Amino acid sequence: MIYSLILTTLMFGAMFSVLTVSLNLQYARGGMINFGTVAYFAAGAYAYAIVTQEPPSGLDQYALGLNAPWWIGFIAAGIAAMVFAVITGWPTLRLRGEYLALTTFAFAEVFHSILLNERRIGNGSVGMANVERPDPAVLGLDDTLAYTAAACVLMLLTAWVFHRLLASPYGRLVDATHNDEIAAESVGKNTARVRLQIFVISAIPIGFAGALYAMITTLVAPALFTAEVTFFVWIALALGGERTILGAILGTMALVFFQEAVRMIPFETVRSAQIAASVEEVITGILFIIVLRWQPWDRLARKATT
Amino acid sequence: MSDTILQLKGVIKEFRKFRAVGGAEGLTFDVRRGGFLGLIGPNGAGKSTTFNLISGVLEPTMGTVTFDGTDLSSLSIAEIAGLGLGRTFQTPRAFDSLSVLDNVMVGLAHDEEGPLAALLGRWKGTERALTGKAEAALERVGLIARRHDSVSNLSGGELRMLEVARQLVREPRILLLDEPTAGVDPTLQGKLSQILSDLHAQGTTLIVVEHNLGFLMSLADSVVVLQNGGLLAQGAPDDIRRDPAVIAAYLGADHEA
Repeated sequence: MIYSLILTTLMFGAMFSVLTVSLNLQYARGGMINFGTVAYFAAGAYAYAIVTQEPPSGLDQYALGLNAPWWIGFIAAGIAAMVFAVITGWPTLRLRGEYLALTTFAFAEVFHSILLNERRIGNGSVGMANVERPDPAVLGLDDTLAYTAAACVLMLLTAWVFHRLLASPYGRLVDATHNDEIAAESVGKNTARVRLQIFVISAIPIGFAGALYAMITTLVAPALFTAEVTFFVWIALALGGERTILGAILGTMALVFFQEAVRMIPFETVRSAQIAASVEEVITGILFIIVLRWQPWDRLARKATT
Repeated sequence: MSDTILQLKGVIKEFRKFRAVGGAEGLTFDVRRGGFLGLIGPNGAGKSTTFNLISGVLEPTMGTVTFDGTDLSSLSIAEIAGLGLGRTFQTPRAFDSLSVLDNVMVGLAHDEEGPLAALLGRWKGTERALTGKAEAALERVGLIARRHDSVSNLSGGELRMLEVARQLVREPRILLLDEPTAGVDPTLQGKLSQILSDLHAQGTTLIVVEHNLGFLMSLADSVVVLQNGGLLAQGAPDDIRRDPAVIAAYLGADHEA
């Protein structure tokens, strides 16, 4: 049981870490508050499903199923998230702080509503089940183990790429843009372009994570891609003490571990399971408030330096 | 090539109903190529606003600013900077999360500054060459020993010099300095004075806003005096010192002429 708890934590933890690490790049380094994270995740998952799904038949309401191999679907997921980031970032990135947060949140809600009501995309609220996925048995691997490994690889690759991106003159330009846009502009830097680049670059891994999520659950449906996902990754980012890639990963792992651990408890009655589910949400909320109010990581960091 | 590098024509800037720059008929003056112009006037005369209008931080309500034949009105701050205009700010602006050296490095036009170069790791050669340039600028402003410090450890005067260094590496054709000596100690002021006369000798056009008239009048070859957003007087430093209107509005009667 412990083994399966660790494995699921690692699988979902690594997958959601891709989201928190990307959010960390946008927020901590780029200074952009994106409350529409789930939309890029959903764009990736739906793109993967549409590209790999067989053409519609019978009761299917979706219009397009390309029946392409999984890796084409995976690439399409990254491209879909990137395109969606360009479309949403272009008109909104001149907005600052909470205005950008509100706009991105609204974009995500609109996108969710379209997925729900436009049945030709992915069967509306029913979603698309039995999403195609590569079979790890070919390599002689257990399903969970293989997808855990895949999630970890995607997470490490994302972290490595972002680290490489920022430990460079480009990272310096990103920091300068975040610190003082007017000062950066007055030495001739195009800060609008830098902001859009960061916004788009960080959306790509989120799209890949969406494809991986579709493979793991073999289902894409609007109910999976609600604002709750966005809040989840934001809480994970705050828990981990934003600003570092490692912090973002640890925060996500801790939060996923906590949720999975509650799910593992063998409840006697349905009622007690329901209570546990509510208590889990309450505790997550309380944790979030504690971290924001007392900022334990910042204190530890300050203690370490003095 | 015309003798005028920068031209303000009927420039007016209004914030709601308040006319910050422009006076009665709009602000008009020319800046000579290679000249050293002092821009003075009482607090609130519109000196910094004029800088903001020239550098694109603000857009004129009316009138035009022309830089070497190019109308600046539809250009962004970065585009104007790209034409060869450099400026510092009344309140120094630094990139807080970067080191002193990196603050200067940002000022350089960097060919390998994009995301692709970062991913491919192709920037190290260019970076090394540019670091030398940035360090030379820090040497000139007297901050070389602080190059690895965080900018939060710099004093107000040092931040001003840092801003000057960030502009020096860009080798702008025209440099606008907003109160460069405020909060700067006499030693550094001496260095600054040396830098400005070197730049002047190299042909860089300079416009300097300054209340420290002893500093300014020894360097400038012409002076523009603003009052309430309008042009009060314009001329050689010696004529400005003797101008009764300037004495009444700004210098004060007991000013040693």
